[in-house]
Amino acid sequence: MHSTVISKCKELIELLNRYGRVIEIHDGALLIEVDEYYLHELSELLHWKLNGYYTTSIGVDERPLNGSFGVYHAFVLDDYGYYVILYIKVSTGLLKTTSITPVIPGANWAEREIMDFLGIRFIDHPEPYRLILPFDWPDGIYPLRKDFPYNCKASVKDKIDEVVHGSTSTVKDVEELSSRYTLVPIGPYHPALHEPEYFELYVDGEKIIDARYKGFMVHRGMEKLAESRLTYNQIPFLAERICGICGFTHNTAYCQAVENAAGIDVPERALFIRSLLLELERIHSHLLWFGVAFHLLGFDTGFMITWRLREDIMNIAELLTGNRKTYGMNLIGGVRRDVKEENIEYIKRVLKNLENEFRDYMENIFSMNELVKRTKEIGILSKEDARKLCVLGPHARASGLKTDVRKYHPYAAYKYVDFRVPVRDEGDVLARLLVRYEEILESINIINQLLDNLPNTPLQAEYDGIPEKRLGVGVTEAPRGEDFHFVITGRDNKVYRWRPRAPSYNNLQSVPLMLRGEYLADAPIIIASIDPCFSCTDHVIVVDVRNGTRKRLSLNRILG
Amino acid sequence: MSRFKLLRKAISVGVVTEKYPYEPIEVPPGFRGKPRIDPLKCIGCGACVNACPPDALSIEDDLVEGIRYVKLFIGRCIYCGRCQDVCPVEAIKLSNEFELATDKHDDLYQVVGLRMVRCRVCGRFYTTYRQLENVLKDLPEEQRPYALLCPDCREKIASLYTSYARR
Repeated sequence: MHSTVISKCKELIELLNRYGRVIEIHDGALLIEVDEYYLHELSELLHWKLNGYYTTSIGVDERPLNGSFGVYHAFVLDDYGYYVILYIKVSTGLLKTTSITPVIPGANWAEREIMDFLGIRFIDHPEPYRLILPFDWPDGIYPLRKDFPYNCKASVKDKIDEVVHGSTSTVKDVEELSSRYTLVPIGPYHPALHEPEYFELYVDGEKIIDARYKGFMVHRGMEKLAESRLTYNQIPFLAERICGICGFTHNTAYCQAVENAAGIDVPERALFIRSLLLELERIHSHLLWFGVAFHLLGFDTGFMITWRLREDIMNIAELLTGNRKTYGMNLIGGVRRDVKEENIEYIKRVLKNLENEFRDYMENIFSMNELVKRTKEIGILSKEDARKLCVLGPHARASGLKTDVRKYHPYAAYKYVDFRVPVRDEGDVLARLLVRYEEILESINIINQLLDNLPNTPLQAEYDGIPEKRLGVGVTEAPRGEDFHFVITGRDNKVYRWRPRAPSYNNLQSVPLMLRGEYLADAPIIIASIDPCFSCTDHVIVVDVRNGTRKRLSLNRILG
Repeated sequence: MSRFKLLRKAISVGVVTEKYPYEPIEVPPGFRGKPRIDPLKCIGCGACVNACPPDALSIEDDLVEGIRYVKLFIGRCIYCGRCQDVCPVEAIKLSNEFELATDKHDDLYQVVGLRMVRCRVCGRFYTTYRQLENVLKDLPEEQRPYALLCPDCREKIASLYTSYARR
């Protein structure tokens, strides 16, 4: 078995070698410097033919290093256990490169983000408009370029209408839609999730004809802050604050990226403690989501039940880390606190109790006809669309895609435990509920295994500085899907570039598709069914994403 | 059928809501709450200031009066406890206190003032008495005079010696 895997990997590297020099940047990550000419062919090979999927694109201002800009397209090959990163040099003079969105629609946002932040144009991009920066942001100022100081406040133009952003075609498109159908705005505050986001639903009677999503209203400039002001060991605490629900997984992904880049071996006990906390976080996140989903379905008893059960997990986290949510446990090279022997029995007892109660409740709840009818065959995302849009995590698993970072790219202590990856083929809201239900039970199983086998090693690795100009990829399976962190190390104890990508970034792109053809009353649960985490997705800044025309339109509708 | 089961269960579980704030909430040992600087122990070395991710801790030197102020602003604190990790004399510690709402801005600050030492050569204030004591404790006898000089003067004298050594 093992030898076949190795020969498969050799074949892969040989295959990729035809397109450019393949460098193994660290265990499980390959970098190929390719010519733009082969980009489409190679993307198609990686995403469609080799059964991998596209993760994200990263733009880097590498002028101080090699005099050009760099664009990195990251792909995941689950079958081979590799992350493959295509590296394209973009010359400072031309500032343009080929877009891969025509081949992989899921690359849409990531490429537009690079356009916003670095000013690199993507040729043949179907929607080359602003995504993240506000529409009154002055032209020609790109915040992630190295010559833009992090504490600079760009002067905002007064005449917003003069700034031409957003395409005329989209505006026309919207005008046509809004003349024929009724516009129902949802947001910028969502009825259930108290985070800013904005959905425009175009309805004909009760049916949803089309939907648009606009987010990035809370982009906070984290990447810039991290690379300009914070040191390696301070960033974990910033990374943890990307998300209020699954912060620890961001924190771990960042630490892994730096550890991989610097080649630091983390002691086993630290890995076990990381896995333990990641699973605790998954349970609490899924329980929280169940509560929100039930609340949206009008089933408030279910909401109360799941949130009461969740409280036990919060107490365990508080006991282990000193806080209910922001664990603050990771540093580069290990963890900060040990799990005490006397707590292990207590945790096991609480989890046993939780498992029994949860199973009992859920079996009861899933036998309710009203709940099943409101979720079955609602908000369907087919397997093909899921592949096309590169959705991740439980959302992908509910659409029949067997993907799980813990299984196919084991990190932390996941290679020492035995667990199952629940997959369902239906692709509807009910499937998403069931996948998460099974995942909670699996997580409890994982925690028990981890607690039984805690090795006795130190908690922190000894290391001597972090070398500069190294690349690192850190990936974790967050409760919402694959969490991807990319790091280039720099000088003076600082990262050169840090790019976190939360799973909702990919998952949100599928929401408009799922809404089409559904009833308006189902919209909240469909939106919530991907467990969206808007601030995670934004993780960087935005004031107002709507362009002039659309803004007036929707505001009038809201006020009117 | 199933609804009755849920109802029965709900009654058997009873009320779980805590009467907070009318009843206090217990926090487990090791809870990360409001940090506090022990003014009797702090030596003003600034290790915590370097480690603090959100810049809640800062150092200001009053070079006229010769006092170093170590400032803690709770408004920025994220309760990560890095200051506690790096403190060489265990002067800063996280407490169990988490109810920090206040109507007075001053309640959010803790300022510790530490007396500074003058350089033996140029007479400039350069470090605190306590840090000097702490350094002298571990320094070999022959190097001690150097600790009494400010970094600039120390460098000058050291470079003088090295240039002698080169001859």
